[in-house]
Amino acid sequence: MPSAVVTVDLERIPPAIDGLDGYSRAFVYLTLRGRVVNQVRLPVRDGRLAGTDIHTAAARPDRYAVWDRWLRNHLECEEPGTSATGVRATVAVCTRERPDDLERCLAALEAMPDDGQEILVVDNARATEATHRVVTGHPRARYIREDRPGLNAARNRALAEASHEVVAFIDDDAVADPGWLRSLVRNFADPLVLCVTGLTLPLELETPAQEWQEILSPFGRGFDRRVFDTTVLSPPSAGLTGAGVNMALRRTVPALLGPFDEALDAGTVTRSGGDNEMFSRIIGAGYRIVYDPAALSWHRHRRSWPELRQAFYGYGAGVYAAWTRSLLFEGELHVLRTAYRWLLDHQLPSLARALLRRPGSAPLDLLLAELRGCAAGPWAYFVSRRRLRRRAA
Amino acid sequence: MTAPAVSVIIPTHNRRASLARTLDALARQTWPAGSIEVLVVADGCTDGTVEALRGRAVPFALRVLEQPGRGAATARNAGAAAAAAPLLLFIDDDVEPTPSLVAAHVRAHEGHADRVVLGPYPPVLPARPDLFRVGLRRWWQDHFTAAADVGHRFTYRDLLAGNLSISAGLYGRTGGFDPAFAGCGGEDWEYGVRLLDAGATFVFAPDALGYHHEASDHARSLRRARQEGRADVIIARRHAGLRPAVAFGRRESGRAAAESWTSVCVFRWPWVAVLLPAMITPLLGPLERLRLRRSWLRVSRALRGLAYWQGVRDELETWKALAGFLQNGPARPDEGPEATLNLRDGIAAAERRLDAERPAGARLRYGELPIGRIPPEAGAERLRGVHLRPALADRFAVPYLMALSFERALLDARQGS
Repeated sequence: MPSAVVTVDLERIPPAIDGLDGYSRAFVYLTLRGRVVNQVRLPVRDGRLAGTDIHTAAARPDRYAVWDRWLRNHLECEEPGTSATGVRATVAVCTRERPDDLERCLAALEAMPDDGQEILVVDNARATEATHRVVTGHPRARYIREDRPGLNAARNRALAEASHEVVAFIDDDAVADPGWLRSLVRNFADPLVLCVTGLTLPLELETPAQEWQEILSPFGRGFDRRVFDTTVLSPPSAGLTGAGVNMALRRTVPALLGPFDEALDAGTVTRSGGDNEMFSRIIGAGYRIVYDPAALSWHRHRRSWPELRQAFYGYGAGVYAAWTRSLLFEGELHVLRTAYRWLLDHQLPSLARALLRRPGSAPLDLLLAELRGCAAGPWAYFVSRRRLRRRAA
Repeated sequence: MTAPAVSVIIPTHNRRASLARTLDALARQTWPAGSIEVLVVADGCTDGTVEALRGRAVPFALRVLEQPGRGAATARNAGAAAAAAPLLLFIDDDVEPTPSLVAAHVRAHEGHADRVVLGPYPPVLPARPDLFRVGLRRWWQDHFTAAADVGHRFTYRDLLAGNLSISAGLYGRTGGFDPAFAGCGGEDWEYGVRLLDAGATFVFAPDALGYHHEASDHARSLRRARQEGRADVIIARRHAGLRPAVAFGRRESGRAAAESWTSVCVFRWPWVAVLLPAMITPLLGPLERLRLRRSWLRVSRALRGLAYWQGVRDELETWKALAGFLQNGPARPDEGPEATLNLRDGIAAAERRLDAERPAGARLRYGELPIGRIPPEAGAERLRGVHLRPALADRFAVPYLMALSFERALLDARQGS
């Protein structure tokens, strides 16, 4: 049964929420002045979410974020490091043959306050005119055609074409909150910060595939703002800093550290991992990444189960492909230990629980798909590089 | 000919190319060149600096003073004495100012007397620096980022002479830099102590940005750590109240810095302190190549700790002298005036009181409930209104929240009954 996605303002909890017919439960995101601070799962009975349930859940906030946010609102005192002003940004949407999603994404981007940002749409390896038609309907967006296949190729093109100092990426199937860009950009005061990532929550949870995606592999990294550098984590674990669906980079990153690796991520054999690898490089070179949950966007997860299985295969392949590059070309020996720990501490226990059919265990086929992806990852990276070289020749 | 508004004082010692770069950048300032005078104090230069300067065509008034190798402090004082402008701007010869630097300093002084304006000068490094440079850049950048924060409580350690402006009047009244630090640096920190004692206001101007073309390496940083040890002893000797604040006098979570293995090692078994660095320094290269960053950091910190304590030992010589030195000073900073603030009267009211009274410390209450105490800090500025909110949001978050919710619970109970 599908789940409803509901946001509730903690300062104005309604007595009940109706109109949720057809849902058996709700993922409730609790907010304070627009900032998401907590999430709870509550039952829906006869299309109604009882206010008492919300109150009970809200009254026991086990998250520091709730208190911290409430206090900072009360004192009107923002977190240190979030005071950058006058930074102009370019918003980049890399897309391929998803006109309906793109339409929704652009509409949300245009609803954001105007701080002088420009909007770029990079049409990657297009097969039809659909994307171009959508962009023509939005005069504020600039259309760029990138025929080299691959999400990372599109990202590199966006960085090359941008005119402002910060480039904020959002997926074509995501919807930005009105405060999304401002929340990303305000973290760039520290020159050591090369990348800022944000919180991405699910737009809808209509199918079991979408629900399991959100439970097992959410894009969000919690509700607390965190600053990452080598003193806090090692480069192979850089996937913990955020996700490429919601990130902003300084335009100078390719000049400093090299471009996104075009052998990685969607559109190539490795399926994903392009963002992880860049985060890993940024951390490895001694710079910082900030995760700011105030930068909120909503993502439409894959609806069908086969797509979800493919996605899990892609995550495994992408992570291992990115690690292969880190190990062989950046010399990060920690990859071996990180991979070992992931397998032993997370993947195998999850597999065991699924095999024994413990309650709450993950679907076995998804875990197996991820493991198959991991096994295929390293070789996929080499195949991808070879194809890239052949195309360039 | 009108008198200049700003005198830029640059002490220099055998850095002809770097000095040329700084002068070129000063020629590109947004502040009108006719209103700038630059005094270069050549401190024992033997590389042709003075000759190169004489032939130079510059848009501002340029004067060259020479002195026989007496150190940066004396050079800066000499420059200040010869300066004609009411505002003195000190810049190091390896700092390259951005075009808005001079204007930013001048603007920060407008309408205020007795201000000391500090500008950032983070190091310029290659895109992918080695671990040493990563650490160096992080240290400098964090220092400036903290100083730029609105709620930052300035201390004597914020006074860095590489990018600093001060009115000539204040400089004269406080006596300038102390030449006694010629061999070991630290004269800027010591001057910071005196400026704070004189009631000067420290201000950070983020637009007064310069780029520091730092040329140090690991060996040089160890030498500097040793000098810092010596300088800290000299500062603490001169200002008894500073003993709890300097690195070797600090107590953190009940444990004295002097009890660490590095200090015991250096004083009790000096031969170990010489042998150990020789043995573990070669480890740094392989650790870095294997990307074992945390281990590299631990080794690097241990080496710097050993070097620092060797510097302390250079000045104090025996363990007995160190113990006596620490015991004879005050265990806690001077109890200056402390204000008691009742936050129930409103935070804005508390901020106004802090700005008016400028106490050394503050005790915070909410009605009858204690929240916490901002203790007096040796070598730190007195409290201002802007310090309150960040302290409440961070350090005192839990007791403050508890007091607020207790208050609300009482209120609800009273209303219910």
